[in-house]
Amino acid sequence: MPRVVKSTIIDAPVDRVWAVLRDFNGHDRWHPAVKTSTIERHLPADLVGCVRRFQLQDGAELREQLLTLSDLEMAFSYCLLDTPIPLFNYVAHVRLLPVTDGNRTFWHWECRFTTPAGREAEMVKMVGEQIYEAGFEAIRRHEALTQ
Amino acid sequence: MAKVYTSSVVNAPAAKVWARVRDFNGLPGWHPAIGESRIENDEPADKVGCIRNFRLRNGDRLREQLLGLSDYDMFCTYSILESPMGVENYVATLRLTPVTDGQRTFLEWTAEFDCAPEREAELIASIGNGVFQGGFDALKRQFGG
Repeated sequence: MPRVVKSTIIDAPVDRVWAVLRDFNGHDRWHPAVKTSTIERHLPADLVGCVRRFQLQDGAELREQLLTLSDLEMAFSYCLLDTPIPLFNYVAHVRLLPVTDGNRTFWHWECRFTTPAGREAEMVKMVGEQIYEAGFEAIRRHEALTQ
Repeated sequence: MAKVYTSSVVNAPAAKVWARVRDFNGLPGWHPAIGESRIENDEPADKVGCIRNFRLRNGDRLREQLLGLSDYDMFCTYSILESPMGVENYVATLRLTPVTDGQRTFLEWTAEFDCAPEREAELIASIGNGVFQGGFDALKRQFGG
């Protein structure tokens, strides 16, 4: 089962990074790959079990379900329900930890999934670079964190 | 119960930092506050349950017991058996996590203990800013950032 693990240091206090990331419906306002996003059935975005339906810049539509959310641990996890991309059994975990030395943030993002034989390397690279690392760079430049 | 959380980033791969800090008898080799250390009863320093008997540069002597050690998760947990610090039920963990972006290492050093209420703030500051951050600062110097 392929696994992707990416982590970085963001030069902003952890509560400010968490304020941006904890909004399960907010990724269309910071992630460059996401064009629009809504929560189905008008549920609150911090209701565990809610589903976000979103479009990528290329028009592909995906649905993801919030599995866990913890303000205490500054962590959440989610799974893919529907996607045109061959990612199956995809479960991802996001976790923030404070770097007390310098008042910065450690951000850990990982997932596991299955995919058809022969496509593992391509999917690991796509998720790791276009989703996770591109997300790191976008948050690094995010206006809420650079002010 | 008082809690201390101190974390930092060292500009070197986690495996290299772990190789330095995993030695339960190796504090004098990297921590500036520690003068000399030995493991009691000639036990190996990575035998869970072993006791390190060490002296600070200010002359204080401490005995600490290794409670857990994982090369896979890169953490080390230990308790204080004897110290002049006035703490009880002291358990600490040093944990390393790779930062994939830039081949760096995220270090966390945590402790929980009981003490007299009027000494709590002073102990949290001296352990967190002194012992833990002092160790991180030394590692940052040793690994160039």
